[in-house]
Amino acid sequence: MSGFINPAVRSAVSRPSLSRRGLLGAAGLGMGAFALAGCSGPDVSGDDGPGAEEETDWSTVEPATEISFWTNHPGSSMELEQGFADAFKEETGIQVNLVTAGKNYEEVLQKFLTAQTGDEAGDLVVVSDVTWFTYFINGTIIALDGLWEHLDYEISDYRDALIADYLYEGKHYGVPYSRSTPLFYYNKDHWSKAGLDDAAPKTWAEFDEIAAKLTDASGNDAAFAYPKQDQYPGWTLSNVVWGWGGGWSDEWDTSILVSDETVDALQFVQDSVQKSKWGMVASSDHAEIFAAGGVSATVQSTGSMNGIMETADGFEIGVGFLPGGPKATDNVCPTGGAGVGIGAKSSPERQLAAAMFVQFMTNPENAATFAQGTGYMPVRKSADMSAAIAETPQLGVAVEQLDHTRSQDYVRVLLAGGDLNLSGTLQTIMTSPVDVKAELEKLRGVLDDLYETDLKPKLEG
Amino acid sequence: MSQPSSTLPADSAAEPVKRSRFRPNPRTWRDRWTFVLFVLPNLALIAMFIYVPLFRNMYYSTLNWTIGSARATKIGLDNYVRFFTSPDGIAVWRTTGIFTVATVGGSMVLGLLVAVVLNKKLRGSTLARAAVFSPYVLSGVGVGLVWLFIFDPSFGVLGYFLRSIGLRSPDWFLNPNLSLVMVIIVYIWKNLGYCAVVYLAGLQSLPSDVMEAAALDGAGSWQRFTKVVLPLISPSTFFLLITTILNSLQAFDLLKIMTPLGNGTNTLIFEAYLQSFGAYQRAGYSAAIAVVLFLVLFIVTIVQLRFVERKVHYA
Amino acid sequence: MSAVTTSKKTPSQDLRQVDPNRRALSVRNVIATLVGGYLPLVLTVLVVFLPLLWMMMGSLKQPNEITTLTPQLLPKEPSLDNYAYVLDRVPLLLLFRNSLIVTVVGSSIKVVLALLSAYALVFIRFPFKDLIFVIILVALMVPPQVSMLPNYLTISELGGRNTLWGIILPGLGTAFGTFLLRQHFKTLPMSILEAAEMDGAGHWRRLWRIVLPISAPTVATVALVTIVTEWNDYLWPLVITDRPETMTLPVGLSLLQTLESNSGSYGYLMAGAVMVILPVLIVFAALQRHIVAGLTQGSVTG
Repeated sequence: MSGFINPAVRSAVSRPSLSRRGLLGAAGLGMGAFALAGCSGPDVSGDDGPGAEEETDWSTVEPATEISFWTNHPGSSMELEQGFADAFKEETGIQVNLVTAGKNYEEVLQKFLTAQTGDEAGDLVVVSDVTWFTYFINGTIIALDGLWEHLDYEISDYRDALIADYLYEGKHYGVPYSRSTPLFYYNKDHWSKAGLDDAAPKTWAEFDEIAAKLTDASGNDAAFAYPKQDQYPGWTLSNVVWGWGGGWSDEWDTSILVSDETVDALQFVQDSVQKSKWGMVASSDHAEIFAAGGVSATVQSTGSMNGIMETADGFEIGVGFLPGGPKATDNVCPTGGAGVGIGAKSSPERQLAAAMFVQFMTNPENAATFAQGTGYMPVRKSADMSAAIAETPQLGVAVEQLDHTRSQDYVRVLLAGGDLNLSGTLQTIMTSPVDVKAELEKLRGVLDDLYETDLKPKLEG
Repeated sequence: MSQPSSTLPADSAAEPVKRSRFRPNPRTWRDRWTFVLFVLPNLALIAMFIYVPLFRNMYYSTLNWTIGSARATKIGLDNYVRFFTSPDGIAVWRTTGIFTVATVGGSMVLGLLVAVVLNKKLRGSTLARAAVFSPYVLSGVGVGLVWLFIFDPSFGVLGYFLRSIGLRSPDWFLNPNLSLVMVIIVYIWKNLGYCAVVYLAGLQSLPSDVMEAAALDGAGSWQRFTKVVLPLISPSTFFLLITTILNSLQAFDLLKIMTPLGNGTNTLIFEAYLQSFGAYQRAGYSAAIAVVLFLVLFIVTIVQLRFVERKVHYA
Repeated sequence: MSAVTTSKKTPSQDLRQVDPNRRALSVRNVIATLVGGYLPLVLTVLVVFLPLLWMMMGSLKQPNEITTLTPQLLPKEPSLDNYAYVLDRVPLLLLFRNSLIVTVVGSSIKVVLALLSAYALVFIRFPFKDLIFVIILVALMVPPQVSMLPNYLTISELGGRNTLWGIILPGLGTAFGTFLLRQHFKTLPMSILEAAEMDGAGHWRRLWRIVLPISAPTVATVALVTIVTEWNDYLWPLVITDRPETMTLPVGLSLLQTLESNSGSYGYLMAGAVMVILPVLIVFAALQRHIVAGLTQGSVTG
């Protein structure tokens, strides 16, 4: 209700005697204030791009005794994270304070960036596929290669594709932590009631055919739940557009976004919601609707697996690779999830302690524990998953799919605001009878503008 | 008696007799010191947290600058050009226009109707007046949450009613156009009591022979109402028009709570917030929008200054 | 002050003003009054109160009565579980305390500053007094949202993020109260103050001993409006705090909203909404005359 007191007073400004003189007076005071205006704010001199900071000589640094870890506890992992922190404290004496810095990766980013103006940003922070580049481009996280060398990280034992995701101009800015892919989840009860083989569909065309049987069998309005805007539709729908031979962008070139392939793919999605109506857009978390038996299938992060299994309402859950499209059926699954980065504002002592904690948290045993407890991917090659997979065979499918993944398109993951606009457009396309091509053209204009004005100058500067 | 204008010139009339030039004697000096002591804290706070920020914003609006980054580049007026020409900038103008026109029109028309009802001087209408006004003073955050629960397509009571008459609940939360409609409805609910009370005061100040027409009952009453009563309460209308426009342009709490990502509801002020503290951290661009917002408010106020005395028909 | 005086009238006075024909208790008139008068009146009040009632009832419902497709108004087994849950999830008592501190401290300082400024602007001789008043007044045209970003940077640099003083400080300069009190002081008879001046009372004493007591209703109005504004304020505390320990109630409530994003959580959210809405509703019910007068002052001051 800010500002609601104004009306009464605004009318006072209408005193004729006040008007002109008043505005001049205010302007006069303003000019005085303008002189003060330059007193704080950013440096506009234009030297030093991001990444130009001096390399610390780690051999002379002693680790701090206390650090803070800014996290959103991906996959409801608060207890696991606290367990790592406690075990780390026992081993090294270093206290790790967990700070809930938001409900999702974007909120953590906002908090972390805005905190840069003050004096209490986190030492260690969760950086996602979509947010890490924004942390980096604003110079708020450091390159880790020096620390890795100093602490003898076994980098070769981390999954190569996941480590490479945080590489920019020869330096690494993150360690993979809660990494995931989307996974096709289906309700085995509905499947058997509909008389289907117990397997996920190979292609979306196949699912299109069986969808009517599923709604008949389940009695639900829809067979499939799509994610809404804040549940990353730009991530899971990468799968559909890739299957049709389209995409969000080819590096920074967005012409593929408005190509016939992409338009056809999203037309398929729109029709599934608005014409054949086997699809629906969930108004809350789509995994929740699936787990409540409200739809027969959905595509959601592997990181949600444990949550879905726990809440699934009296039915068995099947999982499978993401379905393909008319142009491609393999490598149509995006990687995703998050890693951790180390704050540039922290002292070298704290940075060193944070790197030690990351090394501990992602050692093979802990990586396996974390994967088993959440459904996220084991980030270490040597992490022993056999026991976990024996207990939860679904996890095995998820791990297997890891070898059939593809890196995401630039405009979604590297462009600040890219995913937000993309997901907004996707939600509009799914929920309103809009022209798909026209919406994508509009989106392309926005994304190109974001790149040209926001990112390109920084990349070049 | 209830016209804004009539209150205000009274102010200058009450001005104590102008004294001749101050002569600097000890008592005058003591008075001056007292004045400074009394006024300075308030004036300094206003300067520091209202005027200085206004001009700092103008400076920031010429930068390409991300919050949290220590560096920025000067880009002149590019942020403004972008805001006035880019598709998402234009969408903000459209949203702001629709939101403002719909909320101002809706709360004024409904407010007038409620005022006519309250003006019938029935037993309990004093209580009703307070009741109708109450949403205006409630926390926008709380009110937003309550209405989210009402609008929820699955579990909301509105969807329940629609289903019971054989309709499907619209996608209030997902379809950007419907989201805008939703926040407009709630905003009107929250603000129409304010309009009703101001109109009520206007109606009650009418001469008694006109009162009959204001009751809006009996044959031909609608015509009499529009021909006789409406012109007579035009000062209230004008006052409300200005104040509700200014208020609508500053509506934030409801929008933020009901549509956290601003899907279809990005008004000027919400966009300024989202740009600097939302997904982009574009402080420079956000500052430019804030400056534009200030200019819009400034222009509305100037319009009020110029027209309040001339165009309005006084009783 | 027509709006205000009306509410002071007793119902019988109200009736006296009504056209005598209406008072005849013929059946037709009763029906006409009911249909033309009471029906719309009751409907209007219902439109306002049903959502609030829905909130109250929702806060007492169990989760399975929330996530149902056939909701009932009254909870089957009313319980305070939702409140207990909210209390457990966000430090509600702490938020309540923060809101209380911010409201009390912020409003007190604002009212005192407004009193001092208004007194000086009316009763103390000073060159360019009107210009100073205008400078204060024009500040009202700058909405708080415009100064949000620079103030954020200033307060951050001063170390005021996640502190209560950081929430309070930028809003302290008060133009609204200064304006209202100045308008009121101008209507006071100068003779009283001149008499006090003869007795040798300084400005300080004149303000507290003479001006304040006879202006109590106006000061109360300013204070109430300020208190309600401070209590409900959302944007600034939202921007400047991100730790539950220093949040105010509205910000804490939106934190609860982000933490509880699944659809079964409406019960908790309603409990939270009750916590933030009810205190204002109670204050408003008790003192609505002053609050309504203060908020619509521009149009009703006579």
